Amino acid sequence: MRVEITYKFVAGFIIVVGSVVFLNLLVPSLGIPEEMQQLVAVACAILVGLVLGWFFSRAFTANIRHLREAAERLSHGDLSEPVRLARSSFPDETADLAASLNLVVESLRELVGTIRASAVRAAESAHGLSATSEEMTASSQEVANTVEQISRGAETQAEMVEKSSRLIREMAVSIDLIAASAKKLSASASDTARTAQRGGEIARNSMAKMKQVLGDVERNGEQIVSFGTQVQKIGKIVEVITGIAQKTNLLALNATIEAARAGEYGRGFAVVAEEIRKLADSSSDSAGEISRLIESIREESQKVQSSMQASIREMDSERAALDTTSSAFEEIIQTAVATQTKATSIAELSQNQAEGATGMVAAIDEISRVVSDNAAATQEVSAATEEQSASMEEMARSAQDLSALAEQLLEAVRRFQLAPEKG
Amino acid sequence: MEQVLIFRLGEELCALDVAHIQEVIESPHYHYIPLAPAVFPGAINFHGSILPVLDLGACLGFAGDQQNGRIIVLAASLCRLALAVTAIQRIVPLDADALLSSREDGRLAGCSRAVFSLDGEMINLLDAAQLLASLEMTEMGSGGDHGA
Repeated sequence: MRVEITYKFVAGFIIVVGSVVFLNLLVPSLGIPEEMQQLVAVACAILVGLVLGWFFSRAFTANIRHLREAAERLSHGDLSEPVRLARSSFPDETADLAASLNLVVESLRELVGTIRASAVRAAESAHGLSATSEEMTASSQEVANTVEQISRGAETQAEMVEKSSRLIREMAVSIDLIAASAKKLSASASDTARTAQRGGEIARNSMAKMKQVLGDVERNGEQIVSFGTQVQKIGKIVEVITGIAQKTNLLALNATIEAARAGEYGRGFAVVAEEIRKLADSSSDSAGEISRLIESIREESQKVQSSMQASIREMDSERAALDTTSSAFEEIIQTAVATQTKATSIAELSQNQAEGATGMVAAIDEISRVVSDNAAATQEVSAATEEQSASMEEMARSAQDLSALAEQLLEAVRRFQLAPEKG
Repeated sequence: MEQVLIFRLGEELCALDVAHIQEVIESPHYHYIPLAPAVFPGAINFHGSILPVLDLGACLGFAGDQQNGRIIVLAASLCRLALAVTAIQRIVPLDADALLSSREDGRLAGCSRAVFSLDGEMINLLDAAQLLASLEMTEMGSGGDHGA
């Protein structure tokens, strides 16, 4: 049961007063002399008062001492033990004070723990920050090296771009030359095609004339064959004439024989028969002449026919040659047309190439500008890297400062002892 | 004046008196005579009478082509015989002074009367009677009896 100190004093006073009263009542019954009675009563009362006061003051003083010791420990930073008062049946304000102190200790303990953990974390973070800033410094160093390489590369690039530009200009000139040559080639090919067309027409005309001549020759051959047939008919007639002449000759012979047998009377008849025989002989001779002529005509016409056949054969071969020539001209025309097409396409392509080369020159100029920009940008990057490096060093210093501050903070809170010391 | 008919036997020129000749005809179709000697190639129909034909060239030993030849029909008064010769030349008057004595040798022995020259050619003048006689002797000698 909680009793305040005031009430405790009041209760003690009441107990002392009550004991005086009670003793006053009790003492007479003890058989103690009268004059002694008052004294004993007072003495007993003083004794009760002393005993009560001793008990009170002892408990009170003990509690105060505990509180003072706790406060002293607190002031030394020992937060390890809570304030513990002697167990009392009647706790009072000292118990409240002890509880309050315990709350203070608890709060301080939490605060110190938090501060210590935070300081540790801050120190770790500062270390981490320091390491990071070192890494970043190294990285920025690498970046600076790389940027330097890039800068050198940009110079080489600029030279290369210059060279490329020159080469492409030369190429553009060559392409223009190619285009001009291709145009000339196209013109030559069209000339060739025209010439070949003329040649083909001439060959066709020759072919037509040759066909005409061939037809004439064939007709001549047919005429000669029919002529030969006619001549053979003449030959048959001549054979008949020859036969008649021979028969006449024979008849004249027989007439002469008859006349000879008739003797002198047959002399005139013999003369007539002789004349008839002579006529028959001359007709026979003439028929023989005609036969010889027919024979020679036949031989001549055979020769003409064979020479005509030879001519026809030659003309056939000539015609084949002309056909070949004509087809050769056709091939020449086709080749020339193909050449013209190709040359035209070459000219167009080289035109495109020239345009492409111009575009390439423009692109390379652009590249050159970009390279210059890159060089400028790398210089800026280099400057920025140096700035960054300086910032990093600054940051490293700050991190070291932070670390020192954390150390100090830890040092400051180190004197607070949170847990009971072992041993 | 005597006239002779000059004809050819193979390459040899011979002559015959016109008086012994009936007619000269073209070589007609021969009719084959059975069992006849080789010198008789056949028989002909002469104006309705059958005449045996004697191959004179073969008979006298003058080989020659008798195809397309001529046939001399002898006078009926002399003999009913036809002679196949190679070719007929002509009829010429015979100059008796030009006659030379006959060569008494070879194949013409006994049937050649004389030899005379005409235009540089040597001509045998045959004697029909002697020819027929020698022919009959030959026929008799060979045992045949196909003569006239």
